[in-house]
Amino acid sequence: MMASLYDWLVSVQQASPHLMKALLAGGLVSTTCALIGCFIVLRRTSFLADAVAHSMLAGVVAGYLLMKLVYGDSAHTGAMLIGSIISGIITVAMVSFVSRASRVKEDAVIGIMYTGIFALGGVMVSFFSDVIHIDLYHFVIGSLLGVGDADLWMMGTVSCVVVVFIVMTFRWLQIITFDRVMAASIGIPVVLMDYLLTMSTSLVVVSGVRMVGVILVVGLLIAPAATAYLLCDRLRNMLWVSALLGWTGFLMGYIASEYMNVAPGSAIVVVLTAQFMLVFIIAPRYGLLADWRRRLTALPQQEVEDILGSVLRADGEALSLQQIAGYLDKRPERLRRAAASLDRQGLLAGDAQGYTLTDDGRKEARRLLRAHRLWETYLREAGVHEENLHAHAHVLEHVHDEDAVDYLDDKLGHPLTDPHGSEIPEDFLHLVPGELVKLAILREGHTGRIHSIGNLVSDQAIAGETVAVGPREDNGRIWVVSVTDASGNIRTLRLDHEQADDVSIRLD
Amino acid sequence: MNTDVSAIDVQNLTVSYGPVPALLDVSVTIPQGQLVGVIGPNGSGKSTFIKSLLGFLRPDFGDIRLFDEPIENSKGRVAYVPQRGAVDWDFPVTVREVALMGRYAKRPIWQNLTAEDRDIADQALEMVRMSDLRNRQIGQLSGGQQQRVFMARAMAQGGDILLLDEPFAGVDAATEHAILDVLERTKASGRTLVVVHHDLTTAAEYFDTIMLLKQRLFAYGSPEQVMHPDLLSQVYEGKLRVFATMDANSSSAGDES
Repeated sequence: MMASLYDWLVSVQQASPHLMKALLAGGLVSTTCALIGCFIVLRRTSFLADAVAHSMLAGVVAGYLLMKLVYGDSAHTGAMLIGSIISGIITVAMVSFVSRASRVKEDAVIGIMYTGIFALGGVMVSFFSDVIHIDLYHFVIGSLLGVGDADLWMMGTVSCVVVVFIVMTFRWLQIITFDRVMAASIGIPVVLMDYLLTMSTSLVVVSGVRMVGVILVVGLLIAPAATAYLLCDRLRNMLWVSALLGWTGFLMGYIASEYMNVAPGSAIVVVLTAQFMLVFIIAPRYGLLADWRRRLTALPQQEVEDILGSVLRADGEALSLQQIAGYLDKRPERLRRAAASLDRQGLLAGDAQGYTLTDDGRKEARRLLRAHRLWETYLREAGVHEENLHAHAHVLEHVHDEDAVDYLDDKLGHPLTDPHGSEIPEDFLHLVPGELVKLAILREGHTGRIHSIGNLVSDQAIAGETVAVGPREDNGRIWVVSVTDASGNIRTLRLDHEQADDVSIRLD
Repeated sequence: MNTDVSAIDVQNLTVSYGPVPALLDVSVTIPQGQLVGVIGPNGSGKSTFIKSLLGFLRPDFGDIRLFDEPIENSKGRVAYVPQRGAVDWDFPVTVREVALMGRYAKRPIWQNLTAEDRDIADQALEMVRMSDLRNRQIGQLSGGQQQRVFMARAMAQGGDILLLDEPFAGVDAATEHAILDVLERTKASGRTLVVVHHDLTTAAEYFDTIMLLKQRLFAYGSPEQVMHPDLLSQVYEGKLRVFATMDANSSSAGDES
């Protein structure tokens, strides 16, 4: 495989050295652009990157002129490269200075600066037209096939520098992009890193312009990164995926341009954009189709929970869809899909003629019932009128995450019954044999061993004694427990809520 | 650490974003181990104050010393929980990665994070009960969970000073409870906390000391001293009517809890 690939590359090299150079240059430039592009996308500085690309013209011309007029050296690549980096940095510095020092907003400042500097380059090109031989057309549209050895060296160096920079400072780049304030507070040189990132952008933009031209270079930066953004939940992965997409986009675009005999730069950016559109549609989590599917299959959670509640209240008897609909005052067709989904999740058993709860379904339904009755108790405490209790609690019971319900239970003093006198299901999520729990959530009949004891009751019991919980007294406000000490003597303790919270029990 | 030295010492702090100063001549000294609430109307410079303490904003004028050292020497000693609105929730980063950021201050850039760092980050997530969701992207969490992730990051960093920008804004009861719990524990361990807070009805209950800020420092002291109707009406101007009715509600509802 490798050998045949090598042979093929050698044959390409012999048949067409230009093609070989173009493949190498394109691969280097497209992947490097795609890497830097990730930070541009996440920092929302696409427009600034575009500005840097345009402002290059002035730098290229200045570098050309300097070498030509001082040393008589025509089209010196190094000088033009350095010139374009300097002009890129000047552009960014001007933008950040002016937008901070004036009330004009950043996007407008970018618009002024980059057109101004680009135009300055244009003026210089035409003013010195007798000494400068820069083909503006190639600057605008790029020329992949015209890549020479000097360009290739330049691109290779740029890629190395940029990749090393990203790998070495990955953590800093990540946190500066994600949370600048924290980055600054832990001593990361935020402004210096901004400038290094801008310099890297200028470097890759310079090589990108050589390949696809000043207008399309933004596509080379942004398109693969934005595509990867739709696919990844980690920055590290996003960088890998972006580089890969940059390379595949280049390869497919370039091959297509060879076959169809069209401008390679345009073909590459068309493919990159097509890749983006495809992923935009089919991305598993952030794609258009995934979004549609979510919306189509989303069941109102409320409906699902109401069905479980009705079947639980039927107390073991099978309930038909018709009956459930009757309880909930809804049309059966509306509930069919929710019921089917519950069936699939293994919470309901049976069919539309008669549904019963599975063990899991019973557990889930009791959890909801507990939430409902706690909410009713809470609303009663808060002074809501009797006849509105159920309706309000019916809405609020859908707030039933574990933390919220436990908090409510604790605040209400772990009530045993709701305002209508129905029993509130015990906290069965925590009341599991072997678990460590507060005494306060125990109900009559529970037994266990004291694990630890706080200050409030330290004079009444010690760790290691066994306890059996009896019926509560004083409307559920006093916990009554019989405690057996090491020598088998039994005594009875009466504890209030605060004291009961202070004893932790290992359940039998 | 010398316990006689005050944790935060701000003298004549003035910060401006344009022609208008966001903070004007603020001087305040916060001893170690205090839980301080910063209150004031919208745009009164509360976040600016926090960002200045973090060394993110450079003051036009004035001096900030943390443990009697200039800010430049106390990098990483200040942990920070940002305002919810200031975070890019679409950023490709997972819960565990955010918690790990708390360790970045401890490792120079040429060193990799160690297994110890990962353990500390995981413990912090365990403390706020977010371990089960550690591989989720942060945008897929509920508001309260998101807040807890950043609490975990601050704990993993383990600074001597903890700054929180509106941690109670828009969170559910359980998270509010969890945050208060963490605040108490952090305070008990001797650290200093500064919390930006918008809810006047709970401020007195949550904090030992309160700073009332609107560009200038209007008051700094115990809740009884600061939560004075005359003072609040001066600072909150037209919005006081809302506060007055809230106050009436809370005093009538206060006896049942």
